[in-house]
Amino acid sequence: MDKTLAHLADFHDEAPLVKGNLTFHDITEIVSSHTEKKTPLQWYGAFGLALSGLMLMIVMIAYLFWNGTGVWGLNNPVGWGFAIVNFVFWVGIGHAGTLISAILFLFRQQWRTAINRSAEAMTLFAVVCALVFPGIHVGRVWAAYWMLPIPNQMGMWPQFKSPLLWDVFAVSTYFTVSAAFWYVGLIPDLASLRDRATGLRRKVFGVLAMGWTGANRHWRNYEKAYLLLAALCTPLVLSVHSVVSFDFAVSIVPGWHTTIFPPYFVAGAIFSGFAMVITLMVVARKVYNVENIITIDHLEKMNIVILVTGSMVGFAYITEFFIAWYSGVQYEQYAFTNRMFGPYAWAYWTMMTCNLFFPQFFWIKKLRRSIPFMFAISIFVNVGMWFERFVITVVSLHRDYLPSAWDYYTPTWVDVLTFVGTFGLFFTLFLLFLRFLPMVAASEVKGVLPEADPHFYDHEGDGHGADHTLGVAKSKTAH
Amino acid sequence: MSETVKRNNPLFWLIDPMRSTASQADPAYRYSWSQMAWMLPLAIGIAGLVVSAVGWATNSQQFYFSYLIGWAFCLALTVGAYFFVIIQHLTKARWSVVIRRIPETLIWSFPLLAVLGIPVLLGMHDLYHWTHHDLFDPTSENYDAVLAGKESYLNTPFFLARVAFYFIFWTFISFKLYTLSVRQDNDPDPAIPKLQRKYSAIGLGVGAIVVSFAAFDILMSLDPHWFSTIFGVYFFAGSFMSIMAVMILVSITLQKNGMLKNEIKLDHYQDLGKFLFAFTVFWAYIAFSQYMLIWYGNLPEETVWFRHRMEHGWEGYSAVLLLGHFILPFMLLIGRWGKRWLPYLGFMAIWMLTMQWFDMFWLIKPVMEAEHASLSLYDISSWFGLFGVFAAAFMYRFSRHALVPQRDPRLHKSLSFTNS
Repeated sequence: MDKTLAHLADFHDEAPLVKGNLTFHDITEIVSSHTEKKTPLQWYGAFGLALSGLMLMIVMIAYLFWNGTGVWGLNNPVGWGFAIVNFVFWVGIGHAGTLISAILFLFRQQWRTAINRSAEAMTLFAVVCALVFPGIHVGRVWAAYWMLPIPNQMGMWPQFKSPLLWDVFAVSTYFTVSAAFWYVGLIPDLASLRDRATGLRRKVFGVLAMGWTGANRHWRNYEKAYLLLAALCTPLVLSVHSVVSFDFAVSIVPGWHTTIFPPYFVAGAIFSGFAMVITLMVVARKVYNVENIITIDHLEKMNIVILVTGSMVGFAYITEFFIAWYSGVQYEQYAFTNRMFGPYAWAYWTMMTCNLFFPQFFWIKKLRRSIPFMFAISIFVNVGMWFERFVITVVSLHRDYLPSAWDYYTPTWVDVLTFVGTFGLFFTLFLLFLRFLPMVAASEVKGVLPEADPHFYDHEGDGHGADHTLGVAKSKTAH
Repeated sequence: MSETVKRNNPLFWLIDPMRSTASQADPAYRYSWSQMAWMLPLAIGIAGLVVSAVGWATNSQQFYFSYLIGWAFCLALTVGAYFFVIIQHLTKARWSVVIRRIPETLIWSFPLLAVLGIPVLLGMHDLYHWTHHDLFDPTSENYDAVLAGKESYLNTPFFLARVAFYFIFWTFISFKLYTLSVRQDNDPDPAIPKLQRKYSAIGLGVGAIVVSFAAFDILMSLDPHWFSTIFGVYFFAGSFMSIMAVMILVSITLQKNGMLKNEIKLDHYQDLGKFLFAFTVFWAYIAFSQYMLIWYGNLPEETVWFRHRMEHGWEGYSAVLLLGHFILPFMLLIGRWGKRWLPYLGFMAIWMLTMQWFDMFWLIKPVMEAEHASLSLYDISSWFGLFGVFAAAFMYRFSRHALVPQRDPRLHKSLSFTNS
């Protein structure tokens, strides 16, 4: 039996997570140096562009506040337009970060360590972009705080039975917990930056690192906190977009009122989020020279997630469509025919092609390992998922129960430029993150190197010590 | 295919498509228990079915509904096992290899379930309202315009064709996954893991749609007016939860009888316990989504389904489902200690399996008598009867091969797995 086991131990089907034989020090060096060197000119170029986008958004919002929501393309049946579409789009993007950092952590997927930091940053910034829209679409912005249940002299409370209020709770909880999780994960790396710095920089990172010394006790507390936060974030991955889906599904608008919405929205959120991670990482790993840490294997795994979640979304499309027919409810049936052949058929088919058709190319191993190809697909998925929200929101509303009330919704230039501007906000934040914080969780990546195993240098120091003693050594620590 | 691994003769194909390879199993992985392990469940199963046969003679409608509940319970376990095996292959899971032979053996229940499903087909007229022809006849006083609109889908030939397709598909994928794994026990062909992943990928993609539509056809169409897009996911959620319970119980039973004593560790149980907890919560999430959206929308064609389960005594059963399938197990399974204390975990596994049955009962039985909540003797006897036969076939098949996929390249990782 021992012989069989020894034979089997030679089976290596997993490529090392970190390539290029990097040492612990190499990883610290690669990750930290980007925040320490003189700001490159290209960064200023990119940041300038992003900042102009942010300015554009601010100007558009100022214009909106001055004139009122009449500057948007909303009309009588279509009372929800770009604002809600963009809100759902951005909240959805965030879900990949939480899935990577929380659920993949609980599933012991070690490859997550290379991407979790930037994906979580993406989550936070996407949620910030999302939060812009509920804030500005209320019409009377000076009353936006009415969304919160604050005791007041008017004795006036929000409608607790409204999913829009649940959204306020769900998204703000999501932001808070994600930010805490992200920050806790950052602490050991902030301490590394502190230890490498001098002067004011050292003081600032010293405060941010909260006195981390890398002591055994620190690590114990850190890992406990990390596990607890992962466990708290896991239900949030499901709950946030489920609550967002309730915004639609509780009402009896045909095309909205369907029970599969919660899991279907969650799958779509993860799908779009992973596409955004691919879009960002394909560029960032090249520019920041971390191709040995965020390897092609990492990208391939994310592409598989895109394939799986894209197919789940496709599964939901098929189910919705079938049940609309099966229900025998003529309004439901009409809603789906109208999506396919009505005035917004172009939007529907854009969505179907981008979300259902294109990701299927990832069945082919060669394509899911091709950088230009995956970049193109990730853009298609981003576009497709935006159109999915557009189709759900606008197409269902523009033809409701009363044909006399039907109308066609066209966004105005203010709608479009506000949306474009949110990308400015997003990239401004993301570029600041890349500039000042370690974009890879260096301490976690070190933890998944084979050298991190305490028995790596046993057995003649050939690097196979861990394999031979793993069973014995670990079972001791487990009890 | 190596000399030692040959296909079984066709008569036994239903029970096991492979000849026994027990003698080639590594001594540590060899089945070493008495034949009672399958004879006892078989005896219970036959006894249960005999009691049910009395029901068939005296009250055939009651029998058919009771039988469908028991059959759907066994189908759910098999569907859960099917997805579990597929996901382990696709994710190249390491922790679960030592227990994977349990669900792997279980998925070969599909052909047996197809045969055991014959009484359901015989009882279609009693079970499925849409089989009544006068519903579709505009001159009849029973004409139902809504159902007439669904006639192109809800008609007996198409229903039979669909169900046949589901079982052929499941059987095909299960045949591949089961026989590849058993073959690997004695034939270390490096191509096998790749093939397992290939069939798993097909099995996952097509299987998701098949399971969803099977749930629509077999369970949802019992109430042919009612519809819910999440229904397939609901069925899946319970199925995936219950296979965890099965793996926990089979592992405990094996270890009690001296098998795999050092191979399956508390670490494995803890992970199974985590999944049992996670999918108890997932089931609740799906069930809540379905209930809340229908309650909130308040459309009569949707709420009627819950209405039937909220009055005439059924409200008590619904409360039991809510408490027993979610609230209590949520609190009882959340702790780490309970997942590493086997008598407790075993008890919770039996509890959750009972709740899975109860869930099937709650889905099916109110269709028969919405006006009068009742638990019939035949509901119980059919459950024990079908589950007994099902479990006997499983244990018999399980005893014929190595208890773990002994040549799986990830087995050593599973053996040395720790759950920190």
